[in-house]
Amino acid sequence: MRTVAGLVLRAVVVLTGTALATFSLLWHAPGDPALAIAEARYAAIPPAEVVELIRAEAGLDAGFWPAFLGWITPLLQGDFGQSMVTGRDIWPELLTAFSYTVPLALAGLMIGLGLSLPLAYAATRRPGGWRDRSAVALASIGAAIPAYWLGLLLILLFAVQLGWLPAMGARSPAHVILPALTLGLGVAAALTRILRSGILEARNQPFLPAIQRRGVASRDIARDHIAPHAAIPVVTVFGLELAFLLEGAVMVEVIFARPGLGSFLVSAIETRDFPKVQAVVMLTAVLFVTVNLVTDLIYRRLDPRIADRHA
Amino acid sequence: MTITATGLSACRAGRAILHPTDMQIGPGECVGLVGSSGSGKSTLGHALIDALRAGGQSVAHVPQSPDEALDPLRSMGFHWREAERALSLAPDPDRQGALFEALHIAGGDLGTRPWGWSRGMQQRFVIAMALIGTPDLLVMDEPTSALDPVVAADTMDLLDRYLADRSTALLLITHDLGLAARRVQRLMVMDAGRVVEDAPTAQVLSAPATAAGRSLCAHRNWLELPC
Amino acid sequence: MLSVERVCVRRGNSATLQDVSLSLAPGRTLAVVGESGAGKSTLIGAVLGLVPCTSGAVSWNGAPVRHCRPALVMQEPRSAFNPALSLHCSVMEPLTATGTRADPDRLAALCQGLEITPDLLARRPGQVSVGQAQRVGILRALIAAPPLVLFDEPLSALDAVTQKHTARLIAALQREAGFAALIVTHDLGYAAAFADDIAVLRAGRIEELTPARAFVEAPQTDYGRRLRDAAFALGALERVA
Repeated sequence: MRTVAGLVLRAVVVLTGTALATFSLLWHAPGDPALAIAEARYAAIPPAEVVELIRAEAGLDAGFWPAFLGWITPLLQGDFGQSMVTGRDIWPELLTAFSYTVPLALAGLMIGLGLSLPLAYAATRRPGGWRDRSAVALASIGAAIPAYWLGLLLILLFAVQLGWLPAMGARSPAHVILPALTLGLGVAAALTRILRSGILEARNQPFLPAIQRRGVASRDIARDHIAPHAAIPVVTVFGLELAFLLEGAVMVEVIFARPGLGSFLVSAIETRDFPKVQAVVMLTAVLFVTVNLVTDLIYRRLDPRIADRHA
Repeated sequence: MTITATGLSACRAGRAILHPTDMQIGPGECVGLVGSSGSGKSTLGHALIDALRAGGQSVAHVPQSPDEALDPLRSMGFHWREAERALSLAPDPDRQGALFEALHIAGGDLGTRPWGWSRGMQQRFVIAMALIGTPDLLVMDEPTSALDPVVAADTMDLLDRYLADRSTALLLITHDLGLAARRVQRLMVMDAGRVVEDAPTAQVLSAPATAAGRSLCAHRNWLELPC
Repeated sequence: MLSVERVCVRRGNSATLQDVSLSLAPGRTLAVVGESGAGKSTLIGAVLGLVPCTSGAVSWNGAPVRHCRPALVMQEPRSAFNPALSLHCSVMEPLTATGTRADPDRLAALCQGLEITPDLLARRPGQVSVGQAQRVGILRALIAAPPLVLFDEPLSALDAVTQKHTARLIAALQREAGFAALIVTHDLGYAAAFADDIAVLRAGRIEELTPARAFVEAPQTDYGRRLRDAAFALGALERVA
């Protein structure tokens, strides 16, 4: 129980650090944020008084710590504040952006798992055999191809040449297929290699020959002794893979001109819309920390020696 | 049942590490298979187990260290049930209780994973597990070298006592002639993938016939004490 | 002369060493026996200054032990070497570390004493047997002529014949070089045959410290008796009429 409390405490510390870092980065960024807001709002170079007015309104004149506290306090109550540019609440906009990005990321993950699991399993049937070598080659090629190029290739093939699938936008469920495929192929490439080495390592454990000599069927050994050990690195990587997934989703959204977190973030940065950028960063950080916390807990459940070692 | 295996052999990377070997062990007999490292004794043990199992005989194996016998992610109870299932035996608390009693592990918690037990208890659990199906032959590969001497001696004594009035034969594989000489009636000396001597223990100790046997005898123990 | 005075080592809430005192003169051999977890490795760490003592003091001739540059022979010989380097490179490390030149005569004499051929030193750790690797490990420990050598289970990875052979080589080199040897082992047979004194360590305490022959003939404590009986039962020691 103490270790769980320690993990939660660690998560809180990480989040506080993230909040401070995000805020001070934007605070100290070159250029006058008040001027940028004014420009974005009025689409013209405004008079100095207007800029000062905006500075006061946004709390930018009070100094770093009051401004930080003024931002973090409502955030803790779930209030992300208003956009500096449009004056509208950020939360509904952010929610809409996530409602596009999360299904894309999940679909990518599903495709990645669906491809990498059988591939890794087939590869490890005979390590060093032709299946193994082609799987490794395929995964290496997949990891080497950048998403924007793969996305363009898929568009050329399925949208332009064959005309089967829509390429741009997000008007129908069919629009998610090509972006998800672009994302999923990248995920599959990374996961295949990790799963493959995880399974191989799990198969090489010193106690397996003895269990075999005890007369246990090889199907039961695979299920009861190899799978749990192979699962440990996979769970670890899953937490890391989430980073790749979100980052990849943002890029894929830009390629396929999909609405979502990508366009939300790009437009917010362009207009120096502090609260919007901070909202995205903080929400992503919370997501990350939560996923890492959950993987840590699953990890401990799978292999309690880890909890023991840290205690 | 007398255990017989013929033509046991093994190759690694095209080189014979075990030349064709025949073995015969009587019911309840305790045989020591001794030799220096790399002489092929473990290979012969494994080949024997595989051959006997293929021939439908019941044979159990205890590896050197509990790390080579127990999955650290699985509970002791799981290992026990798995061993019973592998022999198509129904769970029998009496059999389990008797074995645990005999090997002094009755106090062990079956719900915990191996590392919740001391190493000596883990090793005795592995031995108990090997004895579930009352096998015709128990093959032990350096069963004591991963244990502290006091624990190792206790473990061997418990096993001797358990096997004394049973028909299970024992093949003790070890590099330590001193250990084997205390536990077995017959010694097989291995050298470079061949059994070069096979004689009653007393005869090997008093008049070793080969260079390998003489070397083992000369380095049998550390000190001889008059007492 | 090595002097360990009333050393205590605590880790968290548990004491791994309690009130341990011993001394060891040049040319002498002290064997520390006991079960795993008794604190044997902690004792080595404390003597080398790798494990801080909670109280008490360790010294060599009144100065900190590290001033005399003690050497350590480890249990797993092959993993004690850098797998990428030839054994010769690893063996010379204690000399390069101090900036001393290698004395070819000394190296040749040690190699002869340890039955190491020059061809063996050219190989890498993965290309030699465990027994060979351990002899090279001893060579590395002795190359800089340390006055104190610590052995952490030096023979337990070797087979019975190699164990006894290696033990004899160590003893012969010790007679020549006159270093003090602190041997940590669980093998009472080895301790009885090659050490001058035996210390029984149990749960962090020294239960008894007796001359080796006296210990084997009549252990003073109950645990000492069990250790000796186990050595007989496992054939490490033999009773003869």
